[in-house]
Amino acid sequence: MPDANEDPVVATGRREAVVVLTLFLIALTYTVGYCAWQGYKRSLDELTFVFGFPDWVFWGVVLPWGVCTIAGWLLSTFYISNTPLEPAAPPPGAATAETPVDG
Amino acid sequence: MADPMIPAGGYSVFTALLIFMIASIGLGIYAQRRIDRSTFLQGYFLGNRALGAWALALTATVQSGGTFMGFPALAYSHGWITSLWIAGYMMVPLTGFAVIGKRMAQLSRRTGAITVPDLIRERYGSPAAGAIASLLIIVFMSCMMVAQFKAGAIVMKLAWPGSDAFAPAAGDVDWAYLTGLAVFAVAVVSYTMVGGFLASVWTDLFQSLMMLVGVMILLLLTVPTVGGLESATREAVAVTDANFASGPGYGTTGRAFLTPGLAVSFFCVWVFAGIGSPASMVRVMAMDSTDVLRKSIVLLALYNCLIYLPLVAICVAGRAIIHHLDKPDEIIPRLALTVTGGLPGGSLVSGLILAAPFGAIMATVSCYLLVISSGLVQDLYLRFLRPHAGMREVRLVTYASMALIGALAIAANVRPVKYLQVLVVLSGTSSAATFVAAAIMMCYWRRATAAGTIAAMLAGSGTMATLFFFGWLQRFAWAAVDAGTGSAFLTSIASALGPDPGIGIADPFRPYYLLGVDPILWGLPISAAAGILVSLCTKPPPEDYVARLFDRTS
Repeated sequence: MPDANEDPVVATGRREAVVVLTLFLIALTYTVGYCAWQGYKRSLDELTFVFGFPDWVFWGVVLPWGVCTIAGWLLSTFYISNTPLEPAAPPPGAATAETPVDG
Repeated sequence: MADPMIPAGGYSVFTALLIFMIASIGLGIYAQRRIDRSTFLQGYFLGNRALGAWALALTATVQSGGTFMGFPALAYSHGWITSLWIAGYMMVPLTGFAVIGKRMAQLSRRTGAITVPDLIRERYGSPAAGAIASLLIIVFMSCMMVAQFKAGAIVMKLAWPGSDAFAPAAGDVDWAYLTGLAVFAVAVVSYTMVGGFLASVWTDLFQSLMMLVGVMILLLLTVPTVGGLESATREAVAVTDANFASGPGYGTTGRAFLTPGLAVSFFCVWVFAGIGSPASMVRVMAMDSTDVLRKSIVLLALYNCLIYLPLVAICVAGRAIIHHLDKPDEIIPRLALTVTGGLPGGSLVSGLILAAPFGAIMATVSCYLLVISSGLVQDLYLRFLRPHAGMREVRLVTYASMALIGALAIAANVRPVKYLQVLVVLSGTSSAATFVAAAIMMCYWRRATAAGTIAAMLAGSGTMATLFFFGWLQRFAWAAVDAGTGSAFLTSIASALGPDPGIGIADPFRPYYLLGVDPILWGLPISAAAGILVSLCTKPPPEDYVARLFDRTS
């Protein structure tokens, strides 16, 4: 259950990660599924070409690649949130190295 | 079309490489001015956390010299199936940035961490977890970096003016190679040493843009030369066989290059290598804001569209133009020299195209050099040896560590290990299997413990090492059985592991493909299961400690 006090970066980051990994699974299933179905052991006689690409390359790789590119634009523009990142704390364990003690 | 005469590189290529090296050193000097105005460690190893969208997009995911030299060789050798082999890159812009990017940047700011082991140590308050992460990163990155030195030296050797660029070396000592190695090493170590993280990132950005220009020029010159893609495919099939235009891909070794099981594996390899590479994580930690991350997704998505599928098209056309190459690794340089041969100013264009993969190798070495050096200085020297060292001492130790790493890389490459490539593959995929589950747990799971994270890292790397070892054992045992020299023990091992399934790249050190898939498909879930189980079986972390990293600060 989400904690009311949880930082928005944690909550939104987790939600966005789930959406992106789901999209990854869909892309993997479609691309490999379609290419395994249509792209193996084809003779040149039965192969057709779409914009110069063998048909299975166009429908199985080029098209989903285009869809993922558009999905990347849509998600980054409308879904992935902008959250402020706080100023950085000093590096751990080596505080003295950040100040010119001997140099 | 018959194989044409292929011209050598000459002065144009050498000049292009020289300009590239001088520009990189210039960027290093400029970057140093930026560091001098800030605190040293944060500026040198993390660019003051001010990475913009272009720099993050084009430098943070897995693009290396190998990507731009090894991949075209595969496309030339096996044909259109390599478009499926590389298809995972369609998701890399989203998965590489949106899965852990924002949270990594926030955690590194809250803890002040400037390296991945720093982050792991501070997230759990566990020096052991940080030390183990540091050790694994140094081992993985060193293996990958040493191989890149060899690639850089070979490109320098090929570009050497006044010699036949593609002629094999004569004599016992390959002076052209050794000189190339020395020049490459001095250039890349010096600009990284001078400029640190920013020099590495800016050079990486510069080479990425050069690569884009090179690929576009080559695409426009090669595909029309053979009358378009369809015509190129038909011509390429005529000189190979029908598998060049379909799965599992053309090959002369009798192995199936990409079975559907391996296609699933490689789709996952690119995605999870992008998330789990320590070099990528460091760059994500350095981003300026979440807005940078959002813009980077769009920029990288467009960039990947313009690089990978065009490279496959170029290499298919390349097969129609140059029917046979003994060394497929040379397809891009040979094609560049061939198609620009008759153009006015063609030698300059080919020089530009050839400088791009060289730049990719330099940028990759520079990035690995920094990650290894930061591990040695921040995670080992300052942590365990001299916690109170002053800034001057830290600077000196940093520079010395880089010089030492460079010298070791040169020494390792004077007589390069024959099968170094296997270490690269093992290290790259092992790095993903080791750190993906650990990084996701670190970012999003409050209940994750230090012991769980250590278990996830060791289980991932252990699974990968085991399956690569079994691959070696399988070949060793079957070779003995086939030769009739196998003992009863070796025969039982051979029968337990089964015969070689005849899939994947014809590499003498290929892994054991358990159930026909790449080891990474076993390494990732086993790492995740170990991390979750051990976390649940160990004492929960103190709530106030977790709240500091997971809850609102005000």
